[in-house]
Amino acid sequence: MLFSLSTAALPILAEPQHFSLTEKLIFSGIIIASASAFWRRFGVVLNKILHSKRDPNFHLFPLGKRVWDFFWEVLCQAKVIRERPLPGLAHAVVFWAFLAFALVTLNHCATGLGIGFLSPGGFIGRWYFYLAAVFAMFCAVGISGLFVRRFLIRPKWLGAKLSWESGFIAFLIFALMATYLASFAVTDTSLAARVLWWLHTLALFTFLPIIPHTKHLHLVLSPATVFLSRGSYAQIPPLIGDEDFGLVAGTDLTQLVSLQAYSCVECGRCTEHCPAANTGKLLNPKEIILGVRAYLNDLGPSSDQPLLGKYNQQQAVFQCTTCGACEFQCPVGIEHVPILVGLRRGAVNTGAWEDDYGAKLFLALERGSNALGISPAERDKFIQKQALPLFDGTQEYCLWLGCMGGYDPKGREIVADFARVMNYLGTSYGVLRKEKCTGDPVRRLGDDLVFQQLAEANLEALAQNKVKKIVSICPHCVRTIQEDWKEYGTPPEIEHHSEFLARFADKLPSQRGADGEGSALQVKGTGFSPYNPAHPKSPGALAPEGQEKIVFHDPCYLGRYRNVYDEPRAVAALAGTVLEAPRNHERSFCCGAGGGLAFLGEETGERVSHNRAQELVATGATTVGTACPFCNSMFRDALATTGEAPPQLLDIAQLAARALPTANPTKDHAS
Amino acid sequence: MRIIVAIKQVPDRDAQVRIDAAGKWIEESDLQFALNESDAYALEEALQLKEKHGGEVVVLSAGPERVGQTIREALAKGADRAIHVACGDLGARDALGVARLLAAAIKPESPDLVLTGLQSEDLGFGQTGVILAELLGLPHATLILHVDVEGSDSSQARIPQARIKVKRELEEGWFQQIEMPTPAVLTIQSGGNKLRYATLMGIKRAKTKEVRQLIAAELGVDAAPVVILDRLTLPQKQKSTQILPGTPKEAAAALVEKLKFEVRVL
Repeated sequence: MLFSLSTAALPILAEPQHFSLTEKLIFSGIIIASASAFWRRFGVVLNKILHSKRDPNFHLFPLGKRVWDFFWEVLCQAKVIRERPLPGLAHAVVFWAFLAFALVTLNHCATGLGIGFLSPGGFIGRWYFYLAAVFAMFCAVGISGLFVRRFLIRPKWLGAKLSWESGFIAFLIFALMATYLASFAVTDTSLAARVLWWLHTLALFTFLPIIPHTKHLHLVLSPATVFLSRGSYAQIPPLIGDEDFGLVAGTDLTQLVSLQAYSCVECGRCTEHCPAANTGKLLNPKEIILGVRAYLNDLGPSSDQPLLGKYNQQQAVFQCTTCGACEFQCPVGIEHVPILVGLRRGAVNTGAWEDDYGAKLFLALERGSNALGISPAERDKFIQKQALPLFDGTQEYCLWLGCMGGYDPKGREIVADFARVMNYLGTSYGVLRKEKCTGDPVRRLGDDLVFQQLAEANLEALAQNKVKKIVSICPHCVRTIQEDWKEYGTPPEIEHHSEFLARFADKLPSQRGADGEGSALQVKGTGFSPYNPAHPKSPGALAPEGQEKIVFHDPCYLGRYRNVYDEPRAVAALAGTVLEAPRNHERSFCCGAGGGLAFLGEETGERVSHNRAQELVATGATTVGTACPFCNSMFRDALATTGEAPPQLLDIAQLAARALPTANPTKDHAS
Repeated sequence: MRIIVAIKQVPDRDAQVRIDAAGKWIEESDLQFALNESDAYALEEALQLKEKHGGEVVVLSAGPERVGQTIREALAKGADRAIHVACGDLGARDALGVARLLAAAIKPESPDLVLTGLQSEDLGFGQTGVILAELLGLPHATLILHVDVEGSDSSQARIPQARIKVKRELEEGWFQQIEMPTPAVLTIQSGGNKLRYATLMGIKRAKTKEVRQLIAAELGVDAAPVVILDRLTLPQKQKSTQILPGTPKEAAAALVEKLKFEVRVL
């Protein structure tokens, strides 16, 4: 009784019940005109994508991750909301309303042709229209909010130029919702119902052809783009055959690259988080993607015109640190790193890139063993001086030194301290007699020839020495060995020293005093709780009196590339209270060294490392904790410029080693 | 313009060199080999001349099979074709013997220019290029940093009447400019140019380039050395570090003194 009474009191969606033949003809004409205007552009775009080169290593299966990404990122809009909560939520309600309106719109069109299937008075129709009305209300509020943001607040990441088409689209979406909602306020026989119906129709079929002509193309493409990702973050695809040198010309653009280029919604999140774009460089990741799109529009995927030149600039491409913040942020599934590295490969593998520093690095690694161009005899001396055991096949771990650990003075200190910790723990390890650079800088700069030589030589050396497990202080070595070497063989198991140290955190002496409060980060054993994005990580948590305040800088290649966030913090927590910089975890800001840029000499604009160092100092920390020898190297100079008493700079291995007994530690513990 | 670049494969700079059991040569079994540094500059000079004036660059190397790797790298950097004089006993031949092999390979090519590094990193005689010029009956110049071709026309493949201007490096920052006729033999000093890096495209293209094999024994040259290698020894390790005492100011003054008058680098 109550149920039927309450529903009877609610208004019903008013739809005109009968259309004249003229009306039906006009309606059909509008549908045909709108759909063909849509297809005239969309067909061209689809054609360009489908006629791009096939992605040689693309595998659709396993589907599990794809289905999950689609559900989480597309249907739930999780990334859109998480990275920009307010506008993200506004976008999400518009998107969800569109989903709810799929059935409403279908019925709307069917009604116009006299074959409507949802009756506003019927049980299903009535309740479905109520549901859609709720979505419509949220959508109207959401799109108004987005309009205000774009035209009144005007965040700089949306670009200096106002996009009037976006305003018009917002108006159309608002009109669609308003006409739908207003239909509940009139009766189905009234003229008003008919006028609203036709206004809704006009808004709908004006909207449709605008989609493929504007960035609203993402409505159609980005669900596919998210579903059809390369499979893993910042994955560099292999080169296939004798004529594949990376992205040289249109003929090298693959279907995924073209799909991604047309999916860009120009939101500027990539640019907002890009260390190059934030420090006055030429590089703007959004413009790179739009440059590829402009190339496709003008020349298409069969062109042999170079990709670098008119549409994208070589200088910009070589300013990328491959920190991957852009790719991590992108809500429509664009994979910037393979595209940027692909353009570099195209320039380097064909010899088109001329750069004194770059050539020096490539030549050093063509002939020598390390990126620093130092004689390997220096590494031998270091091994002797530190009495590091040589790997002979009996030890559990091969301690991979890397170029920084083997040749850089500060890197050597980190290795020495990490070795002290391993001695203390009684872990058996050894170093290789000879080691070559893993090829990280040449891989990211696009020199596939030298990279292949280095990967193959190292894989052979590791196999000869029967290495099963590697541990390294360098996240770049870890990434390159584990992921990039796969192209040339099967690398041994490898972990970063933060993972190793965290596993033994409960066996290492704590330097935190008796209180032990706030040691939530100190994780026992191996069971780490995965990072929870909902958990607030407020910057600058207060430290108890007298305790060392350590701000931990997430290295890109440990955090975003390896998803390791809690382990280094657990180790740092042994030595003091861990603070967070404003940009932390997945949003960490690069030190400026990645992508081979550590070797390319002076930057233009502000230095990336200075920008980050100021942020770290502003937390009030007494110590900057790092977990990467490249970050360490960059901050060494950058911190010195931040003031008279900059915080000290220590790797987590050094923080862990500090509390070890100073007397010969091996005496007590090695057995 | 046809330029022949004579290159040598030498033990890698980073290699740990050990003397073999006979004490006459080094243990080659576990060595890495690479292109001799000044030869790399000779190749670079040749490639730049070709890019400016047209023609072809032919690399020439004598040595065992492993030399093929270095030849391919030179082709990858842009040389057009190569001649490999297969010779398993390069170490037993003196500079004259090697120059005879190279001369026999060069003569039928009648090049406009023959470039080679001024000396090898392994034996360091600095003689091969000069003897080669003598054997070929061509004028030569040594320690060259830069070559300018005059009166050339890039549309012509051969320029027999061209003259060249070369820049020689003398001691203490002095240079000498010499004008000379072609054909000629030049030995190239390191550092005159910026070397180009090898590229994947270059390596792939090099696969299809011609490498002509000549057999040393079939070239009809005298293999008997006139210089006999007696014995190889490693240099004695010695430390000659000096600590300059006094205040930083005094130490700096003493250091400048030494750099000026003892080491003579200032």
